[in-house]
Amino acid sequence: MSDPKRLHPIAVLLNIIKSIKELVFPFLLVVVLPGKNDGIPGWIQPLVIGIIVLLLIVNAFIQWLRFTYRIEDGEFRIESGVIVRKKRYIKFDRIHSIDISEGIIQRIFRLVKVNIETAGGTQADAVLSAIRKSEAVQLNALIIEEKNKKTNNSLEGDFSEAGIKGNGEVEKATSVFKQTLPQLFIMAATSGAIGVFLSGGIAFISQFDEIIPFERIFKDYEEFIGMGTIILTVLAILGLLVVYVLATLSMVIRYASFTVVKTDEEIVISRGLLEKRRLTIPIHKVQGIRIMENLVRKPLGLATVYLEYAGGSVEDKESLSIMLFPLIKRKHLHGKIQEILPVYQTAMEMTPLPKRAYSRYVFRKGIYIIPIIGAMVWFFRPWGFLSLLLIPFALVWAYLQYRDAGWSIEGDLLLLCSRFLSKETLIMQRNRIQSITYKKSWFQKRKELATISASIKSGVGSQVGMVVDVEEKDCQTIKSWFLPKKAVDSQ
Amino acid sequence: MEPQNRISNKALTVWKISGLVGCSITWILSIAILVLTIIFDWTYWVFGAMIIISIIQSYLTIFLIPSVRWKRWRYEVRNTEIDIQSGIFVIKRTLIPMNRVQHVETKQGPLLRKYELASVEISTAATMHVIPALDLTEADELRHYISKMASVEEEDV
Repeated sequence: MSDPKRLHPIAVLLNIIKSIKELVFPFLLVVVLPGKNDGIPGWIQPLVIGIIVLLLIVNAFIQWLRFTYRIEDGEFRIESGVIVRKKRYIKFDRIHSIDISEGIIQRIFRLVKVNIETAGGTQADAVLSAIRKSEAVQLNALIIEEKNKKTNNSLEGDFSEAGIKGNGEVEKATSVFKQTLPQLFIMAATSGAIGVFLSGGIAFISQFDEIIPFERIFKDYEEFIGMGTIILTVLAILGLLVVYVLATLSMVIRYASFTVVKTDEEIVISRGLLEKRRLTIPIHKVQGIRIMENLVRKPLGLATVYLEYAGGSVEDKESLSIMLFPLIKRKHLHGKIQEILPVYQTAMEMTPLPKRAYSRYVFRKGIYIIPIIGAMVWFFRPWGFLSLLLIPFALVWAYLQYRDAGWSIEGDLLLLCSRFLSKETLIMQRNRIQSITYKKSWFQKRKELATISASIKSGVGSQVGMVVDVEEKDCQTIKSWFLPKKAVDSQ
Repeated sequence: MEPQNRISNKALTVWKISGLVGCSITWILSIAILVLTIIFDWTYWVFGAMIIISIIQSYLTIFLIPSVRWKRWRYEVRNTEIDIQSGIFVIKRTLIPMNRVQHVETKQGPLLRKYELASVEISTAATMHVIPALDLTEADELRHYISKMASVEEEDV
C-alpha cells in the first residue's frame, strides 16, 4: 500500500459542497443584502456568480488531483494543497483512533469518510473524505497491524500475546447501550434544541426579508390581519409548534440507532440515520463523565451523560462534546456506567451545602433582581408592580440551586455537583484532575464558606467543575485528598 | 497555612505604572470633553461625571488595587505541588500537582524588563497559571526547578 492513492472522484463533489457551504454567508452579504443595484446592467450579476462557480469547480478538481495518501515507513502520509503544497506525515503510534462515517452523498455511492485522529487535538487531523468501504477496512487493519508490530518489538518479540489481544478485542465487543426510538423521541423533545432552532430560523428569515415579499403578502391578507390579534397569536403558536416538531425530528434523525459498544480498550459510539457517524474513544483518554439533568428531564428522572476526553479536534465540533447516553433513566445510570467505565461510581452519597449557604444563594439572585424590580416599579407604575412576582421565582430558583449543589469523595473519585438551570454533575478521577482552586470573597469568609473548582482536560480545552459556597473545612478535605500523599505527611 | 513566598516588591511599581497608563486615557478623554464643552457650549454635567470617574479610577487602579493585590499574592513551590494564592476582593487558592505540569516558561514584557522582572507561566494539559512578577534570577531558578521536578506521565494527560 505504499504507492500514493487518490480519493474516489466523488470527493470533487464533496469539495465543491464544502466550499459552497463556506461561501454562503459572504455570498449573502454581497449579493442579497445590497438589494437592487440600479447602475449595473442585469447580466453582470449572473456572470460573476457563474465565474465564481466555475472557479469553485476547477479548484475542487485540482484539490482532488493533488490529494494523495500512502503508507510508508510506519507513517501515514498525506500530500495535498493547490497553491500551498502540504505534506502531513503521521506516525502510526501517534494515531489514536480511526473513525469511519458516512454522509448522505457517501452513502449513495457506497463510500465512507475516514477521520484519522491523533492525540494532539490542536492540529487538524487527517481526513479522507471519500474512499471505498473495503479500502477503509483494509487501512484500519493495516494500521492496527503496524501498531501491534511496534508494541511487539517493544515487548521484545512476545507477539503471540498481542496477536490474541488483537483478535480478542473484536470478539469481546458487545453492545452495551442502545437508545430505543421512543426514548429518542423523548430525548429530542426535551432537549431544548428548539431554542437554537428558533433563533437560527429567525436569523435565517431576517436574512431573506429582502427576497420574500413580505409586504405584498401582508397587503393581500390585510383583511385577514384585521380579523384580530387572537388569530395571529394562534398562528404564531402553531408556527412555533411546527418549528418544535421539526427540531425534534432533526434531532431524532441525527441520533437514530444510537449504539455504544465497548471493547477492551475503546468505546465506540455510532449513530445517525441519514449521516452515519462512528466515534472511537480510547478508554485511557477518558478524563471524566458529566451528567446533565435539565429542567424538564430532572422531574422525569431522566439524565444525559457526556464523556470528557482528551482528544477530538477543533474542526469537528461534535468530537469535543461526546454524548455517551443521550437519555437514560437515573436509576439505570449506575449499572450502565459500571458496564462501560467501571472506575466511575455514580451512586455516591453527596455532601450537601451547609444551611447558611442558602441565604448566600438568595443574596446573589437579589443583586440582579432588586435593581430590575426597582426600575420597573419606578418607571412603569402600576404595571411595574407585577415584577414583584420575580421574588418568589428567584427564591425558588435559589433554593433549587442550593439544594442540588454538593460534593463527594469516594476512593479516587471526586464528584462536584451544581446547578444553573440544568443540574450538572462532574465525576473525575484524582489522577485526571489538572488543578484545584478554591476562592472566598469577603462575604464568604465571614460565613466560613468557599467556592471550589477542579479542572480536567476535555477536548482541546478544559472542563471545570465548580461548587459555590461549600463549607470551608470541606475545601481543606478536598485539598488534602487531592495532594500527593507524601506532601500531606510532611506538613 | 498560607504559601510562604511573596512576589517581588517591584511588582507594585510595575502595576502602578500600568494603572497610570490606563488612567491617562480616561484623563485625556475628560480633557477632550472639557474642550468640546467649552467650544460647543454643552452642559457641564458630562464633564463633571467624567472627572469623578477619572478620580475614582485613578485611586483604584494606581493606589488601592495594586497594593491589595500585592499583599494577597503569595506562592510556594514544593516538591510535589505548586500552591498559588491571588485575588483582590476574592481570595483564590490554586493547587497544581507537580506531575501535572506540562511545561513552564518565563516571560518578560518591556515594562517587566526595565525592572528586571519576569513572569512565570505554568501550563498543565487543561489550565494555565501565571506568577506575575518575580526577580529575573528567581524566575529563572523557579523555571528550572519546576521543569526538573515535573514529570508528566503521558497516560494521565
